[in-house]
Amino acid sequence: MFHWLGVSLIFSVTAAVAGSRDLPPPAPAGVDFSEQVEPILRDRCYACHGATVQMNGLRLDERGHALKGGDSGHPSVIPGDSARSLLIQTVAGLDPDRLMPKTGDRLTPEEIGLLRAWIDAGAEYAESADSSPLAKAKDHWSFQPPTSPPVPVVKNTEWIRNPIDAFVLARLEGRGWKPSPPAGDEALLRRMHLDLVGLPPTPQEQHEFLKEASPEAFDRLIEELLDRPGYGERWGRHWLDVVRYAETNGYERDATKPEVWKYRDYVIRSLNQDKPYDRFILEQLAGDELEDATAETHVAMGFNRLGPWDDEPADFDQDRFDQLDDVVRTTSEAFLGLTMGCARCHDHKFDPLTQQDYYGMVALFNGLRRSQTGRREVSLPVGDHTQMTRQSERDERIKELEAKIDKLREDFRIDRLRSGQSGLPAKAVAALLEDIRKRTEEQKELARQYSTEMIAKTAEALPPELVGRIAGLEAEIARVRRSVPDLDRGYYLYESKPPEVVHVLMRGRAASPGDVAVPALPAALVSSQPPFSAKGNSSGRRLALARWIASPENPLTARVLVNRVWQQHLGQGLVRSAGDFGSMGDRPSHPQLLDWLASRFIEEGWSFKKLHTLIMTSNTYRMGKKPVAGYLEADPENRFLWRAHYRRLEAEAIRDSMLAASGQLNRKMYGPSMVPPIPEAALEGHPDPDKIWYTSDPREASRRTVYAFIKRSMLIPMLEVLDLCDTTRSSAQRPVTSIAPQALTLFNGDFANEQAFHLARRVLEEAGPDLAQQVDLVYRLALARGPTPDEHREMVDFLNQETEAHLWEVSARNRNRLVAREKSLVQLCRVVFNLNEFVYPN
Amino acid sequence: MQTKRFTRNNPPCGRTRREFLWETGGGFAGLALIDLLSTDGFFGRLNAASVDGAPPELLAPKLPHFPTRAKHVIFFFMNGGPSHVDLFDPKPALTRYNGTPYKGKVKVGSNNRPIGYLMQSPFEFKKHGQSGLEISSVYPHVSRFADDLCVIRSLYTDTAAHASGNIQMNTGNVIIGRPSLGSWLSYGLGTLGNDLPSFVVMTDPRGGPIGGTSNWTAGFMPAAYQGTLFRSKGNPLLNLATPEDVSERTQRHSLNLLQRLNRKHLKGREQESELAARIHSYELAYRMQTTAADVVDVEQESEQTREMYGLNNRLTADYGRKCLIARRLIEKGVRFVQLYSGGGHGPETWDGHVDCIKNHSLHGYETDQPMAALIEDLKRTGLWEETLLIWGGEFGRTPTSEGVGKPGRDHNWLGFSMWLAGAGVKGGQAIGATDELGFEAVEDPYHVSDLHATVLHLMGLDHTKLTYFYHGLEERLTGQRGQVIEGALA
Repeated sequence: MFHWLGVSLIFSVTAAVAGSRDLPPPAPAGVDFSEQVEPILRDRCYACHGATVQMNGLRLDERGHALKGGDSGHPSVIPGDSARSLLIQTVAGLDPDRLMPKTGDRLTPEEIGLLRAWIDAGAEYAESADSSPLAKAKDHWSFQPPTSPPVPVVKNTEWIRNPIDAFVLARLEGRGWKPSPPAGDEALLRRMHLDLVGLPPTPQEQHEFLKEASPEAFDRLIEELLDRPGYGERWGRHWLDVVRYAETNGYERDATKPEVWKYRDYVIRSLNQDKPYDRFILEQLAGDELEDATAETHVAMGFNRLGPWDDEPADFDQDRFDQLDDVVRTTSEAFLGLTMGCARCHDHKFDPLTQQDYYGMVALFNGLRRSQTGRREVSLPVGDHTQMTRQSERDERIKELEAKIDKLREDFRIDRLRSGQSGLPAKAVAALLEDIRKRTEEQKELARQYSTEMIAKTAEALPPELVGRIAGLEAEIARVRRSVPDLDRGYYLYESKPPEVVHVLMRGRAASPGDVAVPALPAALVSSQPPFSAKGNSSGRRLALARWIASPENPLTARVLVNRVWQQHLGQGLVRSAGDFGSMGDRPSHPQLLDWLASRFIEEGWSFKKLHTLIMTSNTYRMGKKPVAGYLEADPENRFLWRAHYRRLEAEAIRDSMLAASGQLNRKMYGPSMVPPIPEAALEGHPDPDKIWYTSDPREASRRTVYAFIKRSMLIPMLEVLDLCDTTRSSAQRPVTSIAPQALTLFNGDFANEQAFHLARRVLEEAGPDLAQQVDLVYRLALARGPTPDEHREMVDFLNQETEAHLWEVSARNRNRLVAREKSLVQLCRVVFNLNEFVYPN
Repeated sequence: MQTKRFTRNNPPCGRTRREFLWETGGGFAGLALIDLLSTDGFFGRLNAASVDGAPPELLAPKLPHFPTRAKHVIFFFMNGGPSHVDLFDPKPALTRYNGTPYKGKVKVGSNNRPIGYLMQSPFEFKKHGQSGLEISSVYPHVSRFADDLCVIRSLYTDTAAHASGNIQMNTGNVIIGRPSLGSWLSYGLGTLGNDLPSFVVMTDPRGGPIGGTSNWTAGFMPAAYQGTLFRSKGNPLLNLATPEDVSERTQRHSLNLLQRLNRKHLKGREQESELAARIHSYELAYRMQTTAADVVDVEQESEQTREMYGLNNRLTADYGRKCLIARRLIEKGVRFVQLYSGGGHGPETWDGHVDCIKNHSLHGYETDQPMAALIEDLKRTGLWEETLLIWGGEFGRTPTSEGVGKPGRDHNWLGFSMWLAGAGVKGGQAIGATDELGFEAVEDPYHVSDLHATVLHLMGLDHTKLTYFYHGLEERLTGQRGQVIEGALA
């Protein structure tokens, strides 16, 4: 390939003089590097000329390198002389063949003006004088405490419904842009329903609402939707993505995690009761260590145990760290938006997270243990501290009594063997009496052979006195068990003794331990370590961690959360890398808005519902999605928020919307998961096709998708193909792909065709024989709007043609117009379920 | 088709990694691009396209890091762990010590099973071809191509269990959730085909491999890169068939209506690439119905060909059919095809715990003639020049039997054999060695990551540069390991 930057140097020296008049003018002086310049460099230059990739040897993310230039040695940036700086010449496209950046849109004249003003002012990068990683950390935007920025003053005050709009509009007005007009009432109604409860509004709701739609009526609608149980089902699923929720362990057995569905129910309930986020954090990380621990907070601790688990690891020590790694990664990504996984093997390359930090976090979780019997996992009791203590004391007591019974039986057996009354061969008797550790190979074999017989025979020979004593003890066991009824059970990792010392592992290998790692929060993020004080069985470490994460002083927690919520409402986050707020992540498009939202969120008691209300009452949220010529070219990704964003519904919302439209949706909440039917062919990829998939009955299988069984070795194909999240790691956003298997699933798949059939049946019943009314109802049920006249004509024509064609195709004997009509309506319903508008709401 | 020009490695799709992660709109708008490009010299044209700033798509063909011959991979996966000392790694010492308890230090075997007694191979090893490569009597047909095989006798992995073993062989790591080899290749190179998935998996009629879909997952990459389960009979792809009571005319009529309405909806929204991509995906799906059905229709092949692949023999028919379909798939541009021999558990796979002799006689017989036929057929059609073949399982088996008179062998992950053949491979040789008895790789030991590095290299990709940014890390198929097995390269 040609190294054209090298070539361009020769050109630039001459062109610079000739072309400087053609450059966009510099912006007025006083440009802020971090706010105005670095976002441009970061978004458009660093991918090829940054810390990791340096095409043609050029690096623009550090002043020294930028001044030095690329392989050629010619400076890219000449402080004080933007017109002669190669950077400006190439982005301005003085020579169209040498235009930079190579991909995407050209830089706008405004952007070039900003770069010029910055270079003219000396091209200072906002570097701290101290360049140690820790000092750099203090500079990184997301590690600063959130500010409470003043609400900006804007010209078009009429557009402002709440401060969000002021922050957005200020940026738009800065570019001389206007926000898009609001979405139509029908579109907004559907948008709000799908956003908050994941289901379309019913025709009845549409009718009622649209009679008197107004901005205030939409405000009231938000409150009403937030009160519906569907809210927790919709938003609970978003949280399940973040915590890598699945119901099996993966690997060969891929065993179902006992009682794990209770964690899913916990999430749904917590959201529905608007549990404050800080409390939500405490419960999931340290539900067992809280003063006011309950059954619920123990279930919440399931967070720690949701990851995959290999029940026959090749290396148990390594596996222990793999499990801790899963918890450390998930915790840091879910709550802090920090990717700590890299620090397992080496200090983080980009963020100020060291290997010490990572293993300090590992030490916080190292007390956790998995309850299991061999390869089989077992659940644990859940309750408040008193209940838990009472049950464990009861179990201790039962164990003692059982030991007594065992002892009585054992003593009797030995007596019988010694006395020669056992009726077994002498050799076997000798073998059974021998200390188990001292038995020869032959004796071991004999012991195996005869032990069952011996136990059976001695049981028969038990004297009445002994039988009586054992019965008495057994009655006592039963009485003790009755006195303290069994607690409910949950699925979580428990802590019962002081955690072992953790060592830093070289290259992350358990076989290469290094220095001791003390329990600690990441050093770059705290000024001092909290006390980690043990209490009862527990080390108190997770509680200290949880308290720090859930504190208003934590610079990341609230920002990360409000960004997640924003992302679900607006289609993309203010920080697009919602799971990475580190230096490799995206910078916020509206840093002040993000801070303002975070501060407000904390002030309002970490309330999810208030946050939803705040966002959804803004005009920003309510904008339409139509592109605006000029804006689209300048900002194709809508980073300035000049309109609402198109985004495909998630697999769950697509499936649930179909069920709702067809009338088949079963609104039963909570409880063990349902197992929807899947194609037999899909099971052919599994080693145990006959044993893993016990399909629920159709009614049960028609529950909302959040209740569907998520099995790691056999993901439900329809969900998987529609971009279900990664189920093994915390997932911050779902990819959206458009691939042919999705079309096959939604057009040919059993589920879509069955729902089309039910929708047609429903429409025939509710709309009667009139084709126009049938089409109208299909549209209202599926798309929450009536058809346009054009669509109307298309659809009625289709029904008529299809009916006639069908009648023509079947033999005269089977000709039945009613059947033909129904079949064509099923086809129409199938088409509507496949419309772009069905999965990409307006 | 392929240019010899050296081209620099671009960052993923020439965009920032984050944009790439955020990439939406998927692969099928990209396939329109392929339509344009596949007629002639697409490499040159592709280059021009990326300079023009055409939107890169997930599965659009991408340039390798360096010029290479191989364009396709066919992976014969011997599920369950084939015994190297009975197939490609002759051990005369085992005859000498036959029946004696093993007294050495090497610890292999699974689940605390006893290490047992050394057991000679009941199969006869002979030198084959000009190279004199030794292959056992389990594979008489494959032996005809000894001069094409590069046997690596010194492989090892990190695990004794089938699940983590399969998953490591496929994804490089014993932990589930990472993208598989076929996903990495689809991500790195895109697809060459128009209307078939780029990564196809065919499992055994007795069941899938242990670990299930974790073996062909795209992990943290978009679903477009995941392996697609392909059936060798009937409807090859999930939901490919038109629903039962829908006629083909109705299917097309309905699809036409859908597409017409979707195009109207697109008016005024032309720049929404996701909407356009979705429209395209339906056309593609419709075309896929024909293409995929066509690929599995092996009746189109001559009787001679069908006979060659063993389709008329009950025992070889299934694997033979899969091998024949594999050829037809790569003819259509599919990038990566994986064919499982053995499925489910125990004797249904190569997992010969109880009777390794009977087990390998059966599974060897089932696969031998079909694989040989495929090699011959690839050579006949010229695809040999651009196809890389991989043979092997998740690990090997112990040189010991599990008890006296019990001819079963346990798992051995410290030393085992696999072979490569075809494009770019130096055939007719054995690389590395296990110890005298076959327990442990001692001479030039190669980790499974080295095998992966080599496969990527043969496909024109540098395993240290083929990265995917996820959760703060530049993820690689080979993790922090991997070195190309230079001796395997032609």
